Amino acid sequence: MSTLVGIITAADEETRNRSLEQFARSASAETLLRECEALDRLRRENENLYEQVRALFFLHSIHRFHLPGKPGIAGRGVIPFRGFEELRNRRFEEAIETFLRHQAQAGPSEALSSGLSAAYRQLGFQTLADQVRRSVRSIAGNQWMFRVGHPSDHPLRVHRRLLRPLANGLFPVLRETTPVRMDLTHSGWSDIFFLGMDFPEGARVLNISIDLSLESGDPTQGQPPRPPVEGYFRVIDRPVLRLASVDLQASAEITTFAEVFDFARDHLGLLKAALIAAGIVPPGMEGAHQPLSDLLTQLVGSGQGIELVSKVNDIPKGSRLAVSTSLLACLITVCMRATGQARSLTGGLCEVERRLVAARAILGEWLGGSGGGWQDSGGVWPGIKLIEGRLSTEGDPEFGVSRGRLLPGHHLFGKDEISEETRRALQASLVLVHGGMAQDVGPILEMVTEKYLLRSQEEWMGRQQAIGTLDEILGYLKAGNIRAIGEATERNFKGPIQTIIPWAGNLYTDRLIQQVRAAFGEHFWGFWMLGGMSGGGMGFLFDPRHKSSAKVRLQEIMDKTKTRMERSVPFAMQPVVYDFEIDERGAWAELHGRAGESEGLADGPAALMPGDYYLLTFPDILRRDPWLLSPAQRAELEIFGALSAGDPALVDVLPSLFQRMLPQKQEDDSQDSLSAMLAANAFDREQHEQIRGDLRSGRIGLAQNRLPTRSLIEEVPPEELVDATTGLPKRFDEIGWAALNAGEVAVVTLAGGAGSRWSQGAGVVKALNPFARLAGRHRNFIEIHLAKTRRSGRLCGTPLPHVITTSYLTHRALADALGDGFGSGGPLLLSPGNSVGLRMTPMVRDLRFDWEETSRQVLDIQAEKVRESQHSALINWARSQGEGSDYVDNLPDQCIHPVGHWYELPHLLRNGVLRGLLEERPQLQYLMMHNIDTVGANVDPGLLGLHISAQKAMTAELIHRRLEDRGGGLARIDGSVRLVEGLALPREEIEFRLTYYNTNTFWIHIDRLLATLGLERTSLEDERSVTEALGRMAARMPTYVTLKEVKKRWGRGQEDVFPVTQFEKLWGDMTALPEMDCGYVVVPRMRGQQLKEVAQLDGWLRDGSAAYVEDLCDWPD
Amino acid sequence: MEITKAVITAARRTQRSLPLQTIIDSDGVEKSVLRILVEEVIEAGIDEICVIVYPGDETAYAATVGEHAGRLQFVQQEKQLGYAHAVYCAREFVGSDSFLHLVGDHLYVRPNGGRCAARVVEAARLHNSSVSAVQATRETLLPYFGAVGGPRLPGQTGLYQVETVIEKPTPTEAEQRLVASGLRSGHYLCFFGIHVLTATVMELLGGLLSSADADEADGSPGAGLSLSAALNLLAQREQYLALEQRGMRLDIGVKYGLLTAQIALALNGQDRDEMLTRLLELLMSRSMQEGEEPV
Repeated sequence: MSTLVGIITAADEETRNRSLEQFARSASAETLLRECEALDRLRRENENLYEQVRALFFLHSIHRFHLPGKPGIAGRGVIPFRGFEELRNRRFEEAIETFLRHQAQAGPSEALSSGLSAAYRQLGFQTLADQVRRSVRSIAGNQWMFRVGHPSDHPLRVHRRLLRPLANGLFPVLRETTPVRMDLTHSGWSDIFFLGMDFPEGARVLNISIDLSLESGDPTQGQPPRPPVEGYFRVIDRPVLRLASVDLQASAEITTFAEVFDFARDHLGLLKAALIAAGIVPPGMEGAHQPLSDLLTQLVGSGQGIELVSKVNDIPKGSRLAVSTSLLACLITVCMRATGQARSLTGGLCEVERRLVAARAILGEWLGGSGGGWQDSGGVWPGIKLIEGRLSTEGDPEFGVSRGRLLPGHHLFGKDEISEETRRALQASLVLVHGGMAQDVGPILEMVTEKYLLRSQEEWMGRQQAIGTLDEILGYLKAGNIRAIGEATERNFKGPIQTIIPWAGNLYTDRLIQQVRAAFGEHFWGFWMLGGMSGGGMGFLFDPRHKSSAKVRLQEIMDKTKTRMERSVPFAMQPVVYDFEIDERGAWAELHGRAGESEGLADGPAALMPGDYYLLTFPDILRRDPWLLSPAQRAELEIFGALSAGDPALVDVLPSLFQRMLPQKQEDDSQDSLSAMLAANAFDREQHEQIRGDLRSGRIGLAQNRLPTRSLIEEVPPEELVDATTGLPKRFDEIGWAALNAGEVAVVTLAGGAGSRWSQGAGVVKALNPFARLAGRHRNFIEIHLAKTRRSGRLCGTPLPHVITTSYLTHRALADALGDGFGSGGPLLLSPGNSVGLRMTPMVRDLRFDWEETSRQVLDIQAEKVRESQHSALINWARSQGEGSDYVDNLPDQCIHPVGHWYELPHLLRNGVLRGLLEERPQLQYLMMHNIDTVGANVDPGLLGLHISAQKAMTAELIHRRLEDRGGGLARIDGSVRLVEGLALPREEIEFRLTYYNTNTFWIHIDRLLATLGLERTSLEDERSVTEALGRMAARMPTYVTLKEVKKRWGRGQEDVFPVTQFEKLWGDMTALPEMDCGYVVVPRMRGQQLKEVAQLDGWLRDGSAAYVEDLCDWPD
Repeated sequence: MEITKAVITAARRTQRSLPLQTIIDSDGVEKSVLRILVEEVIEAGIDEICVIVYPGDETAYAATVGEHAGRLQFVQQEKQLGYAHAVYCAREFVGSDSFLHLVGDHLYVRPNGGRCAARVVEAARLHNSSVSAVQATRETLLPYFGAVGGPRLPGQTGLYQVETVIEKPTPTEAEQRLVASGLRSGHYLCFFGIHVLTATVMELLGGLLSSADADEADGSPGAGLSLSAALNLLAQREQYLALEQRGMRLDIGVKYGLLTAQIALALNGQDRDEMLTRLLELLMSRSMQEGEEPV
């Protein structure tokens, strides 16, 4: 029997918890392939969900981490395009079949393994997600919503107390408030659904419901903590669904079913998801063609409608307090109460109702295409509770499928277990903050799931420790020992949490902790990570006597640290300190506007919405003709007018309303700075207009990037290039060392680009992003490159010059950072570039081409719907902005763009950096030029020796293509060998025939390059001839039109992503010049791979690449 | 269990004329709705009938039942305090006896003839307990009925042990609390409008009506109370069964209710062929007017 199948299906826990690594590390390729066959059989034949899924993740891991590099596995191989297409269309089973068939025919290769690994991994996640979906649907109380398909069949009715208008013409308002939750233990993300369903014993969290307010410097200004999220429900006298999000400043009146299910159309997706998950518009009605008013007639009577309003009180995104799930749960609750699905219209909820709200929040999150863990709706419950996974038993939908249930059990701690005094002490000691970072934790949750299923030894130990910490903290809570809690939570963060997921910590958080400890010494009791990843919502425990000074100091420390790091780390907002209180009520509702209300406040709260709601809705209402207003709208205006002067909640609204309605002078500060920035960077307006003209007329565009279809594009056979993957002959090393020793080499790091994929367009300098801990400290890309150069210099005995090219985006930040004491051991120079382009609103034609013609990953069914609706919203946006118009609606540095790395070497010639270097070191002959993200590239003497011996003008480094290596490669085009960009390939499948991928690392012979440009060393002094020569060359290089995603930040940590058009020229096209004599060498993957996305990091660390890089470095510390 | 009394509620002000409407019964004879109900009761072997009425309706009602008038006693519901209160008005009539209860705005039809009430009374006598007639009803109709949940009685056809009663449940609540074995998904046991109840229910109603929870939003005491609330308590207190009926309950108080009831009665009685023919004629003449070929 197969060893791995034995591990997965073992009855005893010890065997079942054995890790894959233990076995796979020493197993031969042949053994592993045999195991793969057995695992594949197991996952097909076995009925047990978790055995299937674990087999899938074992298969993924073997193909990703264990087979590559083993003797018997070819480095080079063809990935069948058909398999790739199947993968992208989420036909994972078929993709696996295709890849396996090719493996049987062509033999195993790293290329095929990369395809198999991706397919197995995605199938694993898909299987798990399907199970969560099935479980949510089959929970009693949710099933009917999937059966009701016709408005006339709708079985809900709005509560009669909400249907009757008050004497003043307003309808009563049902107001629901919900605290948010914080996780006292950071349970190692054990509340992820999948983990709880397989390992319910280990799925445990201590969860506290809290109210919040923003700490204000002035104690007289501060508001006491209040439930952070609010939902409002009322009947309206128009047959529409009116939705408003006060915090996101969005509102809409919905009249069709299609709009309700269109989540990404506006910022109201969460409200729509709540309406659906609460059964007001049941999910079974998606696609119904009847008017929405038919449904409303059933619910509230003819001619009437429903209004749902959400409000978040001052809590920014990324708080790690599960604000969005809490808001979703709050809205679902208010809708359920309003339709009689909770026993009580007002007050608290009973346990059965709370559980149903939690289940529906999971459903709502799935509908909206997001998802967290099961503790996120913890705010619905009051006070402090232990939430634990539960074994599934007969009658549960999960029984026989998974060990645990989807929904956990909640134990509410009474005051006899955790005393009032302890609760007060915790509040007196804890300072809650938002550090300002708002990151997507999705990849982290996937990593946690994967590592759990693989039972990787260290991580598994970490998980056991985290489980132990929970019991420890629970003990301290019962004993009232807050100081010990601080010590335990910090130990948990530094130990188990970062053992499980190293990316949960970051340099920013480390610096905060360090500074707080320096400032408060023993009065700082410990750091507390709130969940997800650090940098956003975090807690610091202090001696209560120092809490108030700590709040002030912590704000200063965060502000200062953020200012220092904001060019290298993506911050979404200014850091803030909160005030908080434990909420002992949980979800709570009140009915505003009593029966017979006539004097507003005289008889309880008036039936009005929150003040900011009127800022959002009144401008539109006031602009309408009065006779178009409904009676309730007129009544609302009157009552608002009468109350606004005296009601403290409304007093600020009137002045702001005036401000909003009066015409405003256009804010032109940012326009001025954009113009200044363009001027400072030699923006070529003439060229810009020409590009715009070409773009609008269709002469250039995404479709026009491609080579003519008649081009003959062929794979280059291995004999025509040098394979250095298993090393090069010694003589090359000797030649290389000699050149290094003679000072003939310099390194050029290309750091002018923004690295938009790295930070999803956040506009930070990727080169400075401290992304990984190497040799005990967080390091950024530049530090790593300089450390490699330092080592090369030390080994050859001659320090190497290191040039970093910069652009308007990166120059100042890099210049400042290099002042921080980084060094390469040799001359360190910055080569500023001054070519910029101004981004443009994309052509609808290009947007459609991008979404329809270029292939893309099909998402999970619900996420795909969300994406489709986003697409139509973006097309509308492009039309309304004007296709091809200048993109200026953002911060200036988000509006301009670098124009591609082709320009970076020419800048070196134009800005005098190369000239200076050559004057200082006339012996300098070779440059090694590489991308900022090729962290494994160093000045390898063997490769240098090869380049020198071959006497080429340029040698390009390649790697064997794997599935993730997209964007062109090496090809023979119409007879000549060259690098070709993915953008230029007429058909996508051609790329899959090309097995060599461009690493963008080049060895360049300076004099030969100059000769190609029509220059020589002495002519570098003549600025005009340099400019002319470069101009001539630029004209010969193709211009690619691309779409880039930029983030627009607004509100409190909110971000929108827009695709914008820009153009670029790329260095690889130099290889197409007939006069440029180029050589090509295949290098090991660890050297040539590029880190383009944060999601790659975990694999990079696990497959040994990080250790490989560490070995190449000499750190200054 | 002896069952000799029946209570028919017909006191709702807005529907006072319903029991007076005339209709052709399945035996082909023209009768008032109230008379049909009274005959249903009499055929169940019950002689003493109490009708709860809006003050002043007694004479008109007595006149409409013909020779059965002598069996009727009328009790006035002086204030419009809802259905549960109307039932409670019969407490003195009921005394300590079990009683059959029907609502005045419904008619009942069994597919193969026979009377629905008689079946319920028989079951109550046999099992010596309260029995409510119920019918498997689609969840989309839940807003109109009270519904029960509980297991099937072993060895019995169509009998359930009632554990929970909820008035107009939401489907959410129904899925969680009203599941009964043997029903298709999305179907629940909803009241048919015929009950045999022990006198305990009067005691329970009395208790509930005196509590503030039963008040309507506008403050009317007891008007917010449903009979289901009392029946839910009854299920906790003593054996309470539900008998599944396969007939039809016809609400004559809704739009076209009377017409539908008439057609159903005719299709179920001796005039079946005549009714079918007339309906077909109606459909065909309509098609021909529109220029379509007759089907």
